[in-house]
Amino acid sequence: MYLKVESLEKRYGHLVPVSGLSFSLGQGELLGLLGPSGCGKTTTLRMISGLIHATSGKIIVGGHDVTHLPTYRRNMGVMFQSYALFPHMTIAENVAFGLEMRKLSKADIAQRVSSALSMVRLPALGNRKPLQLSGGQQQRVALARALVIEPDILLLDEPLSNLDAKLRDEMRNEIREIQQRLRMTTVFVTHDQTEAMAICDRIVVMNRGKLEQIGTPHEIYERPSTPMVADFVGRINRIRCRWRDDGAIAFGHTAIGAVSTGPAGSEVLVMVRPHRIELRSAGAKAGRAEGENTIPGTVRQVTYIGDSLQYAVESEGEKIMVEQATTSAGDTYKPGDAVTLNWRARDTLTFAAEADV
Amino acid sequence: MKDSAAVDQSNSSRRAAGVVFGLLLPILIVNIIAFVVPVLNLAAMSFRSATAIGSLDEALTLSTWQSLLGDTFYWSILWRTVWMGALITAVTLLLSYPLALFVSRRSGWVKTVLVVACISPLLISAVVRTYGWMVILGNQGFLPALIRASGFTPPRLINNEFGVLVGMTEILMPYMILSLLSGFGRLDPILDQAAETLGARPLTVLRRIVLPLSLPGILLGCLLCFVLAVSSFITPKMLAGGRVSLLATEIYDQAIVTLNWPLAACLSVFILFVFGAALLAYGQLSKIVD
Repeated sequence: MYLKVESLEKRYGHLVPVSGLSFSLGQGELLGLLGPSGCGKTTTLRMISGLIHATSGKIIVGGHDVTHLPTYRRNMGVMFQSYALFPHMTIAENVAFGLEMRKLSKADIAQRVSSALSMVRLPALGNRKPLQLSGGQQQRVALARALVIEPDILLLDEPLSNLDAKLRDEMRNEIREIQQRLRMTTVFVTHDQTEAMAICDRIVVMNRGKLEQIGTPHEIYERPSTPMVADFVGRINRIRCRWRDDGAIAFGHTAIGAVSTGPAGSEVLVMVRPHRIELRSAGAKAGRAEGENTIPGTVRQVTYIGDSLQYAVESEGEKIMVEQATTSAGDTYKPGDAVTLNWRARDTLTFAAEADV
Repeated sequence: MKDSAAVDQSNSSRRAAGVVFGLLLPILIVNIIAFVVPVLNLAAMSFRSATAIGSLDEALTLSTWQSLLGDTFYWSILWRTVWMGALITAVTLLLSYPLALFVSRRSGWVKTVLVVACISPLLISAVVRTYGWMVILGNQGFLPALIRASGFTPPRLINNEFGVLVGMTEILMPYMILSLLSGFGRLDPILDQAAETLGARPLTVLRRIVLPLSLPGILLGCLLCFVLAVSSFITPKMLAGGRVSLLATEIYDQAIVTLNWPLAACLSVFILFVFGAALLAYGQLSKIVD
């Protein structure tokens, strides 16, 4: 493992923005730190870069303990949310700054600066000042400035949050492409789960300063280990029920099947993603597949949002959201329609009720 | 349609210009009455000559200017004034900069308290503060007594240029700190952090990032303090004990003691040139900084 974070903790008096945080990543891996604002992800990034001192715990890079090294000796490329370009220097001077600190020769610096600017597709703008550039261009300069020093680790602090939606997708893919080409070990902080899913090899989900789950985007989405993770990485229905003694979950007059089981009578939190539920007309004789849940319900509300239809369905006194991709056929249900909700048992996520927060 | 729109636009821009002029008018009138007329009056007075009893001779003459420009005594005063002004400004800057930087990096009520503490000396009259320095630095004062008590002979700390320097520096520091704070707008601590991540040590960050970005504040503070240092006369008068002649104290002496108003007027115009030069230098330097 190239970067190792061991039981990292930060305290400010009674405030504990980060505690007991451990994770590691291999050379060339892109790890996302994902969580709601205030979850400690930026504090963690700043501790890795040395801009904040850890109260306790260890940060190990390539086998060396850097926990107590000052920032300027850590050799980490940081890209800040606000880009933090030096306004009094030209673009080329901004990119050259880190190389000057490393006392490279003038010719060497010029050559590396120009290749770094070409890499981020801004070869002709070296003489401009940062404020003469658009947000996307400033961002590329910040990336070039962070990468040109050939850092041991690249740290990205919400790099895309100041861009408009379209540019954001483009930059996201560009960052991923460059990161893979350079095999750059990277930590990427974001509060946007789509962003994290799209480009990260693995994701650390944080909440209230603690690690909730670490895993690949697929693991995080399909097998969230806590209700918080399930909730944070995508829309989801949550229903409180009780286990029956036959291993199913009691839901009013019917039952919900899940892959796991729990002790009979104990409370359980059931979570199902809206787009994993299929709606069928109540009378339809579709063959019920093995391991499939079929729950009767009544459509209460329909919302059309272009690429999908959102139904609010009432079933056994609970409101369940269902999402279906729209088709040109326009065969939709109307409020009042009697329907059945169908989903696979393996799409039923179950959590002990006390894990719910 | 297009034409009428253009007419509308020119009408509205003319109306806007009228409003601007109307708003500027009061300060314009005050400035003309309280600044332009007196300065012109002063300039006119410098072309008169004084009679032995201090009244003005009606005839216009260049004799006062001639005696002023031809006398090396006044040139040496000019030189000393500019030199002292520059020295006071430099020392004030050196002492104020770290303070201002420290204050600008605080936040919330701590910052408010510190800013108020920095400018609170302005609540006490410069005369009172200067008396304070006389008590501290005077021959029988606190500091010489302390030096004597530790077995040394104290140097003269007052009635010389050193005393003026100390007093003026303390009096001007609030102005310098305020100017620096207002000029620190572009100084975002995140820029220091970015430089640090790129491998810059703290001193390099100061030299390459903080100092260049705070130049506008430095220039403004230096202009303000230089002009105030050159034009102040109470503090130099009290702390120099008549041994350090500066333009401002000389003007006071000529106008109040000797009653040679034409010469005082000449020196006043003379000092205006110094200010003009300082403003010009400031303008040029701020253009370079931008």
